[in-house]
Amino acid sequence: MTTLGLQAEPSYGVPGKKRWAMVIDLRRCIGCMACVTACKAEFDVPLGVWRTIVKVKDTGTYPNTRRNFMPRLCNHCDNPPCVRNCPTGATYKHEDGFVLQRYERCIACRTCIAACPFNARFVLPRSRTRVGISGVVDKCTFCAHRVAQGLVPACVQTCLGRARIFGDVNDPDSEVARIVATQKTVTLKSEKGTRPQVYYIKPDRVAVEQAASAPVSYAARADAAAFYRHNNGSRFFAGML
Amino acid sequence: MFEYMEYNIAPWGASIAAYFFLIGTAGMVFTTAAAPNVFGAVAAPFAKFQKTGAIIALVLLAICVPLLILDLGQPSRFLYPILYFRWTSPLSWGAVFLPLFGLCIAGFIYGLLKQNRKLLRWTGIIGVLLALSMPLYTGLDLMVNQAREIWANPTIPILFVILSITSGAAVVALAMAFTGGPSADAARLLRYVLAFSLGITFWLILGLIMTMVYGSAELQQAWDVINSDYAIEFWGLSFVLGVLIPLVLVFGPMLVPAMQFAASPRMVTLAAVMGAVGAYSLRKVLLYAGQIPQIYY
Repeated sequence: MTTLGLQAEPSYGVPGKKRWAMVIDLRRCIGCMACVTACKAEFDVPLGVWRTIVKVKDTGTYPNTRRNFMPRLCNHCDNPPCVRNCPTGATYKHEDGFVLQRYERCIACRTCIAACPFNARFVLPRSRTRVGISGVVDKCTFCAHRVAQGLVPACVQTCLGRARIFGDVNDPDSEVARIVATQKTVTLKSEKGTRPQVYYIKPDRVAVEQAASAPVSYAARADAAAFYRHNNGSRFFAGML
Repeated sequence: MFEYMEYNIAPWGASIAAYFFLIGTAGMVFTTAAAPNVFGAVAAPFAKFQKTGAIIALVLLAICVPLLILDLGQPSRFLYPILYFRWTSPLSWGAVFLPLFGLCIAGFIYGLLKQNRKLLRWTGIIGVLLALSMPLYTGLDLMVNQAREIWANPTIPILFVILSITSGAAVVALAMAFTGGPSADAARLLRYVLAFSLGITFWLILGLIMTMVYGSAELQQAWDVINSDYAIEFWGLSFVLGVLIPLVLVFGPMLVPAMQFAASPRMVTLAAVMGAVGAYSLRKVLLYAGQIPQIYY
């Protein structure tokens, strides 16, 4: 694979290079939303947009029901289409694997949002007041500023059940590398060829219906209905939020 | 079921659909205006249309550029795609081609005013190539999104070019109608252009339908979305009104003697306008429906 534009070479499995990754153990997630709250607090993420979400799915019919939780965030792909698409280089891939955003260069053309398979990107609303950055595309950074200080991302730090595990997947001694090597993990939409670096441990077949569901499932329908409700009938970007 | 959070909003809405339509139309209107200088005698019936066409193309461009800039979250940074040019992004190429296209139109109009044949030929040839790049790059903007399967299809840029030919023909026909009506030769040429563009659109739509009906789960989902949320736009406006009826009007006089009435300039204009409605509607459906399946996965 050659480097395209400013995009750093894929670093997964390359000796001597870091490749930050996350494992999410769906068996351990209890849907407390602490990760979402921690992320909101860390970055002052405005109302109505999210860097990370936990989708909630009820499956089955009474009395045989189950509530499933599916944390989602930017997958910091090793071959990120958002970076390739960005016309200004505002989105770039750090050599350690983070996919990051230069706010001062972003024009909010939203082509990176269109490119993202994971709905991980959004435009910061103009209504944001406490932090001066708005009208540009934002996303999860894997808390690169914390990782640079030897800390783990805020969502990982706060996770009650240790469902989120973070580390250098290229370091064979890291917990993340050991889990990826020894446990059965999956990535979302792996068929898209973006090489996502958020690995999921599946609790059972039903709980990952969202990741690999039949196209017309109850869960999918409910998601779509909620999406329309949330956007008050305006499903598409039209001017600043 | 409780949900505290939802998916983030889909990125591209009505202004992008309008831009895709208008910029493609501008490209093809200019191509028609420049055709006598670029393609020679075969396009001679459009000679009277040159000045009007070039001005219309410039006006459409003058609508498109602010439309695109104001759609940005940071309109003041509209030059960044040129300043920080990225060859992997079709949007960057579009940002370079767009002002060059404007310059070519301005040069062409200047050439018409001064009757400078050399300038007309050069700005015509380069302008036609840039005009072609307008619908092409908008199609590429969609095609490169590997994560959205309805867009990640190499026929999309071709479809956008073909749709632009139809909508361009409609503007040409309307402009001619307002300036005394097209001559019989111009109407015949427009009818051939429409026969070409509508015929290819018909087959490309069929190909698209087959791809979705028998494609991956995501494509099947897109097909479901089109048939539920955008059924009227897709089947009614795009396929029946935008392709089938104009095809009958365009090919009818060639095949059925009783349909000679459809060969009149007025009917050609009507077919072209219906085709343009379909061209806009199909682009809009593809743009919108291409973004919706993500929320099902």
